[in-house]
Amino acid sequence: MTATTESPPVPATDARPPRPRPNWLLWTGIAVAVLITLWAGRAIEFTLEPLIYDIDRGRPVLRGFLDPDWDFLQRVIDPFLETFAIAIIASLVGCSIALVMALLASRVSAPNHATYWITKQTLSVIRSLPDVAYGMLFVAAVGTGALAGILALIFFNLGIAAKLTSETVDAIDPGPVEAADAVGAGVIERARVAIVPQVLPNYISYCLYVFELNIRASVIIGLVGGGGIGSVISVELARFNYDNLSAVIFALFVVVFVLDWFSRTMRRRLV
Amino acid sequence: MTLTQSPAGESEQQARPEPPSKWPKTFSMLAMLGLVLLAIWVADAPWMRVFEIPEKAQQYGGLMADGVLRNPTVEPYDSYWSRSFELMVESLQIAWIGTAIGALFSFPIAFFAASNIAPAPVTFVARQFLNIIRAIPEIILAIAVMLPIFGLGPLAGALAIGVHSIGTLGKLTSEAIEGVAPGPGEAVRATGGSQLETIRWAVIPQVLPETVAFWLYRFEVNIRASAILGVLGAGGIGSLLSQLFRHREWERIGIALVVIIVVTIIVDQMSASVRRRIIHGGGTHSATAEAIVE
Repeated sequence: MTATTESPPVPATDARPPRPRPNWLLWTGIAVAVLITLWAGRAIEFTLEPLIYDIDRGRPVLRGFLDPDWDFLQRVIDPFLETFAIAIIASLVGCSIALVMALLASRVSAPNHATYWITKQTLSVIRSLPDVAYGMLFVAAVGTGALAGILALIFFNLGIAAKLTSETVDAIDPGPVEAADAVGAGVIERARVAIVPQVLPNYISYCLYVFELNIRASVIIGLVGGGGIGSVISVELARFNYDNLSAVIFALFVVVFVLDWFSRTMRRRLV
Repeated sequence: MTLTQSPAGESEQQARPEPPSKWPKTFSMLAMLGLVLLAIWVADAPWMRVFEIPEKAQQYGGLMADGVLRNPTVEPYDSYWSRSFELMVESLQIAWIGTAIGALFSFPIAFFAASNIAPAPVTFVARQFLNIIRAIPEIILAIAVMLPIFGLGPLAGALAIGVHSIGTLGKLTSEAIEGVAPGPGEAVRATGGSQLETIRWAVIPQVLPETVAFWLYRFEVNIRASAILGVLGAGGIGSLLSQLFRHREWERIGIALVVIIVVTIIVDQMSASVRRRIIHGGGTHSATAEAIVE
């Protein structure tokens, strides 16, 4: 904008600026996106017809949901506490390992290029498996129950927290790092005095976020046998007790909502 | 420390500043420790079984590696690979359709939820609407609404993911809209543009790159979500995984996991490079606009 005002006055006043050329890359991108959507829509047989014809099929389920059995909630206090315990332990262990791996997976703090590359690839493999796959793997390895849930969530947390933290490490102010290097700090000293203090607020905020995700993920972890509130949901679902299920889900909804609010307030204060 | 102090004159500054109190830090550390001990006690898990993992990992890992390393063109193994791949593609399709539903509906709603576009009462209603659908996890939507109505299959999964994505994408997009520079909007209004024209010529060009990046990011997240919904019977690789784990077919589990990892990493990387291109490269307009604003 400033460049045009400084340039010499345009000679012919009626000469309009040329129309920008069509952006072929943009149009190709749009065409590709539309084609993928059509292809995917056909493949999964996308239709909204059941909404008109089969809405009745959902009616008994919805009726159960609209008439929750609140007495059932007394019986789920213990599983809820178990879910919280699982989430606390998994977040703590997962985030502690994540901090170390994040430092190794950032070019700023990694001791050498090989470590950086290997850690980064390891993290992207860990992150590519969904939490449910970890749930099934650990249920197979250590049996059903809270331990399998904790181990599965540790891996889930590790992937998320390490990625977010290593990206924060990439973006730190290089000054303190240079200062630490200049006084001859080793890799660990440099990380302790120059890098960790800079990323700490963000890191703690990611940990809170991960903890919040764990409460949500506990449903799916429990469905495959990882303990906590998810196992209750799994049992009630198998018995078609939609009134009980509704009460549990409503309670979960409230817990997630409160936690979401709490963690957002905390995070806003931190960062 | 002494080096920086000496030129200032030591005589006036005999007393060092008090070190900040360590009590809050110590207290919060102790509180954390207490919480963790409580959690360990409540979870009451068979902790000792952790030590069985190396042995189990070796046993099952061996079986999985056996399945993966077998010649993939020979009889049962070729169908194992192709079946895993087909279902992974179905998961991608579910995630894509879910994201498309989310993008399509969240974009207009986001304008109603942005305080610099819509009047306060409309903003309030739109935001609460987004908050509520965001708070319902996909899995609950699938169990409670989509699977009963649409039956088992990928469509129910795509719709559950789609509805949840409306909430998350709507929130992110409305925040992006609230963050636009006011200049272009003022310019359009100064030439007599209506509210709709202001949105078309001043707001959308500013938010579109960021919004498309959100869509792609959501697609990456939804790939994982669609795997989860498969366990409930909503199609895709998740349904295969739960079936294989039920019968402990470790060879096939190994193959399925390798397919998930490889496909997810490739798609993630493609999506990330498109996102980078949209945000940083290419768009000369937004680049110059940023340069002027900053």
